[in-house]
Amino acid sequence: MHRRREHAHGAASIDYYACQSGIRHWNGCYKICFLLWALILCLILDSPGVSGFTVLIMGLLNLRGNGINFERYLQLLKIPAAFLILGSAAVILGISKEPAGDWCVSMHWFWLYVTKEGLNHALELFLKAMGAVSAMYVLALSTPASELATVLQNMHVPKLLTELMYMIYRFIFILTEVHRAMKTAAVSRLGDVDLKTSCAVFGQIGGNLLILSLKRANTYYDAMVSRCYAGEFPFWEEEKPVQIWQVLAAFVYTAVLALLRLAEEMI
Amino acid sequence: MKNEILSVKNVTYEYQPGHPALDQISLSIGRGEKIAVMGSNGAGKSTFFLNLNGVLHPQKGEIYYQGKQVGKKDVKELRRRVGFVFQDADNQMIAATVEAEIAFGPMNLKLPREEVKERVEQALDYMDLQKYRKRPPHYLSGGEKKRVSIADIIAMKSEVILFDEPTAALDPLSADMLEKVLADLYREGKTLLISTHDVDFAYRWADRIVVFDQGKILADGGVREVFLQQRLLEQAHLKKPVLLAVYEILQRQGVIRAGSYPRTVDELAENMGGTIDE
Repeated sequence: MHRRREHAHGAASIDYYACQSGIRHWNGCYKICFLLWALILCLILDSPGVSGFTVLIMGLLNLRGNGINFERYLQLLKIPAAFLILGSAAVILGISKEPAGDWCVSMHWFWLYVTKEGLNHALELFLKAMGAVSAMYVLALSTPASELATVLQNMHVPKLLTELMYMIYRFIFILTEVHRAMKTAAVSRLGDVDLKTSCAVFGQIGGNLLILSLKRANTYYDAMVSRCYAGEFPFWEEEKPVQIWQVLAAFVYTAVLALLRLAEEMI
Repeated sequence: MKNEILSVKNVTYEYQPGHPALDQISLSIGRGEKIAVMGSNGAGKSTFFLNLNGVLHPQKGEIYYQGKQVGKKDVKELRRRVGFVFQDADNQMIAATVEAEIAFGPMNLKLPREEVKERVEQALDYMDLQKYRKRPPHYLSGGEKKRVSIADIIAMKSEVILFDEPTAALDPLSADMLEKVLADLYREGKTLLISTHDVDFAYRWADRIVVFDQGKILADGGVREVFLQQRLLEQAHLKKPVLLAVYEILQRQGVIRAGSYPRTVDELAENMGGTIDE
């Protein structure tokens, strides 16, 4: 399969990765079910071993299956990791009027302290959340929005919602594209020469963005109507049967997690 | 006209009241014709195409498909029979893969799955897109996107195909590809209308030229008939095709067969009694 690494920004790049993913041909429903199952297991089994294993396997799926390179994957993980670290800090740190816990620092008016227990707890929480996040990354990086919409439709989610979801998704692309073009044009005329100009340009682009993207959305709509679009979005669904080995793999995965959990309890 | 496929009578379309984009347009299009629609920006070409394809509904006047007036209920049929390749392929792409993109039209026609699949295969083969079938169309190159946007229409099996400035923003290689596809479609008996600013392309390719100016048809006739009227060209802000100008000079010098009106460089060379060197 053809792959191009260097690529765009934000939502567009995630979509791009999804389209060129090596496991895109896996059945969409299977992917959603398996990854949700992995996420639920990671949350309810509640053990660092299980969480670590989930992070590892999902990481492998992202790197080998979805074909994301390692640096890019780390970049993608940085965003949720930043939130998690801030969140964990709140769990780890305690405040008291006198020295307490296993380690403590005086802050003149009060003491900041950390207990071993709290540290362990925060680490477990962090791992658990990373496991869940990486499972969802596998889904996002391997399944384009249209496919997600099809699967949801097959699960009898109302058509109105799935179609709306897809249209909004497409519209985000129109917005970002138009925005990028305008920003480039502004920068090429020194629109970012100092902070004041940058701010003014930002405002102007915002104002024009609405008009321009509406215009483009109109053209899009005309193009759809010209191909007999009649208010109903029929998604073309490729037939992707679930492979037996995939089902087996899901079982093996579950079994390994269960064993890990048991082993932990015995120790 | 014999074997008329599509015609419009007194069609008027206004985006804003009092400013007709199309003003009492009447035109008859024969089956298998190659028509170049010309005129400056804002002359009404695109609006005309949108009306022909049934996206816009004329406020006055009628459209006939194969002699039958197109009513409100037949609009869908008109959209199926008359395909529209948009100028900017990006505005036409709606699906996440080339395959799904081409399937969009046939799926809207509510065709059975097998039939959709077959049409997608055919269109992919026709436009030589098999190796791109799983790729997201938005990330293809300009020429490839153009091919996808044409495949979109081929899959709908439209009998009339409208191209809105297809050569704009294409590199020479893609433009060559486009001309080959146009020749193939013509051979298959499709009726082709192309709006273009490229007089040389129009002179080389078309059988008939329709010139729009401020919502009206300024001229409608054979290629020579239109391009030999100097005043008309000036009025419509069109230039004389280079090959025609060269021919006229050569004819005055007496070095080319009179009345030969070559439409390609090869034809020019032939009529000068020699061949061009590579």
